[in-house]
Amino acid sequence: MSGTAAVATAAQLVGGIALAPLLPGLVQHWKARLQGRRGPTPLQPYRELRRLWGKSAVDVEGAGIVYRLAPSVAAGSIAVAVLLVPVASDAPDLGVGHDALVLAGLLALSRFAVAASSWEVANGFALMGASRDMTIAVFVEAALVLALAVAALVAGTTDLVQMIAGTAGSAAWSGPALALGALAFTLVVVAETGRQPVDNPDTHLELTMIHEGPLLEYAGRDLAQLQWAAAARHWLVLVLAAQVFLPHAADPRVQLALLPVVLVVLCGALALTETLVAKMRILLAPRLLGIAALAALLGIVAWLVEAT
Amino acid sequence: MTLHDARGYRDAVESALADGCRFAGLHASAGGAVVHAALLDPDGTMRLESVRTEESTAPTLVDVAPAANWDEREAHDLYGVRFDGHEPLRPLVDHDLALSHWTVPMRGDDAYQVVVGPIHAGVIESGHFRFHVVGDRILHLDARLFYKHRGLERAAEGHTLAEGARYVGRACAACSVANGLAYAHACEESLGLESPSELARARTLLLELERVWSHLNDIAAVCAGVGLAAGNNLFAALTERARRLNADLTGHRFLFGGVAVGGSSLDLDAHAVGDAREELEAIGREAARGWRELQFSASFQDRLPNIGVVSRDDVDRLGTVGPSARAAGVAIDVRSVSPLLDYAGFECRLPDRPDGDVRARLEQRALELEQSIEVALPLLDGPVRPVAAAPGAAESTIGVGLVESARGATLCVVERDADRLRRVRLRTGSYANWPSVAYAATDNLLPDFPLINKSFELCYACADR
Repeated sequence: MSGTAAVATAAQLVGGIALAPLLPGLVQHWKARLQGRRGPTPLQPYRELRRLWGKSAVDVEGAGIVYRLAPSVAAGSIAVAVLLVPVASDAPDLGVGHDALVLAGLLALSRFAVAASSWEVANGFALMGASRDMTIAVFVEAALVLALAVAALVAGTTDLVQMIAGTAGSAAWSGPALALGALAFTLVVVAETGRQPVDNPDTHLELTMIHEGPLLEYAGRDLAQLQWAAAARHWLVLVLAAQVFLPHAADPRVQLALLPVVLVVLCGALALTETLVAKMRILLAPRLLGIAALAALLGIVAWLVEAT
Repeated sequence: MTLHDARGYRDAVESALADGCRFAGLHASAGGAVVHAALLDPDGTMRLESVRTEESTAPTLVDVAPAANWDEREAHDLYGVRFDGHEPLRPLVDHDLALSHWTVPMRGDDAYQVVVGPIHAGVIESGHFRFHVVGDRILHLDARLFYKHRGLERAAEGHTLAEGARYVGRACAACSVANGLAYAHACEESLGLESPSELARARTLLLELERVWSHLNDIAAVCAGVGLAAGNNLFAALTERARRLNADLTGHRFLFGGVAVGGSSLDLDAHAVGDAREELEAIGREAARGWRELQFSASFQDRLPNIGVVSRDDVDRLGTVGPSARAAGVAIDVRSVSPLLDYAGFECRLPDRPDGDVRARLEQRALELEQSIEVALPLLDGPVRPVAAAPGAAESTIGVGLVESARGATLCVVERDADRLRRVRLRTGSYANWPSVAYAATDNLLPDFPLINKSFELCYACADR
């Protein structure tokens, strides 16, 4: 294993597992600053996790194995996804490969586990949130797969490591395909991270919740796992945005050096949109994601036209 | 006040309504022996039509004035008066009865209930909302309030009229001046006191200061309801400035104790009014700037139209009052017919598109905020001195006061024995408008309800008393 490969592996593991909570923490911190508040420190999510980890969980009456296993399945599938998403173009295989479509499947599995737990406990708010999440997920997943398809076509493979290499430099940007894929992926990032205008992560109103709804029935370590999974989702989609869909260097050392900078900038962008943009009507969210899918389809068409 | 028999009462109310009067309130008195209905003439005079109950039964008004629905249910729960023809007479204040008594039965495929409250996951007053929904679509909303029913009206009985002001003033922090003023006007009418122009000026000033912070707060609440942090912060900061101004002028951020029966103790020297003028102008400028920016926030504007609609007809039927009625294009405002206050030449403004939806109600608030500041600034032209009401008019044992609060017409009826309260009834703008909120929710999406609710921004405490 070369030196950069070792650094890439370390960055991937430490970043995806341990530093992921810092990303939503940074967004919250800057959001508060942008709103003229002092706000919590960026380390607040760690404090939350420590607090929750120290608490015992209370099970819902009548809850069975689905409810019990859901947090572990949700967090576990995201953890595998962390192993799968490389941070640079020479990251070694960590035993799960690098296939982009597997990533889409893992994200869906995590979502399914949470929705299934809501189904089992049949709490009204949890089910409402889960059903809204599933409705929107149909469009998010389509947009995600199509956006990944654009990058895969440009790079000529669905292997994420080679996609990073294939979309690097300026040659990949000679046509409009990757730009359209990036546009689609931007909207996927917003939806996957549960941020405005698709969802409001700060809401306390049960009636408006999407991602928060199914979490209402969890406490203690279960909730800690789910919160970590939500933070790790930030890591996954922001790393993909930085290393595949945004212009990046071909040299893995430069990729690694710039990654923290790009992640921080992207968190700032999320904080800015969440301050300036209101949450959209829930029935318009599929339309927004439909635009993402359409942009990705256009990207595919653009690539086909270019290729012929 | 005219005391009728059952037949004459219905006839009197029907003919008043035919004359263009609006139903303004109904309450039981004398331990349930009498029921008073208040009707507001378009020229601002108030008619009280009363009926003596027979075997604790009075004829209902809900068929001719649906706005009497809550009032009759309250009179039944608190005074045991039955209303002949009011079927089903659901409980309002009485929480002991089973669910089936107060909810509307709902049958059909896929209809289910979503229940929220009375304890909410935020700093929100106590109210229980039972949504009947199919998917995310609301079929019907049963709201159960009165968790904050403190029996203030009953507690005030037997106290002097002056002490009664404290009970009424504490009904609600957000409407302390409006409620207190309606009470003071009712007492003064009963005592035969007249308001000199200086008293009218001091009271109008307080009422408009209350409206200013209240409307600023409500605009912030709508921004918060759609997650628009920038708008929420700007207007929340302005709300805070307005409350600090209140504290500077009266010693209380919510203007508590500013209104007393028979006079005003508000004492502001030239320096204080000058500072207040400047600050109020600055608040108005900042609010106008913030409002203009909200016009250009597409994501915000996109949330507002066509939800929570209360049309003109609904306003007339449900007895909606205040900004919510005006947002539907119904030009009713007690301020335009308030001879006891300093509103000479006041004309209420209506939004360009009076659609009665969330957008129109928000726009109405912005219009009224601007107008309130315009009304308040000239009142700060010179020092304000303590002043007493002057005797001169005829006395009576019953008095009525009607004041436009930030949420709508607030009625207070006072009955007295010498200087002791025999009965006091406070019917606030919030009380009048709660049924409209439940109505407006119908056919909308569940996730839009918090926004619809915030576009009315009614008080719970004011309604519960």
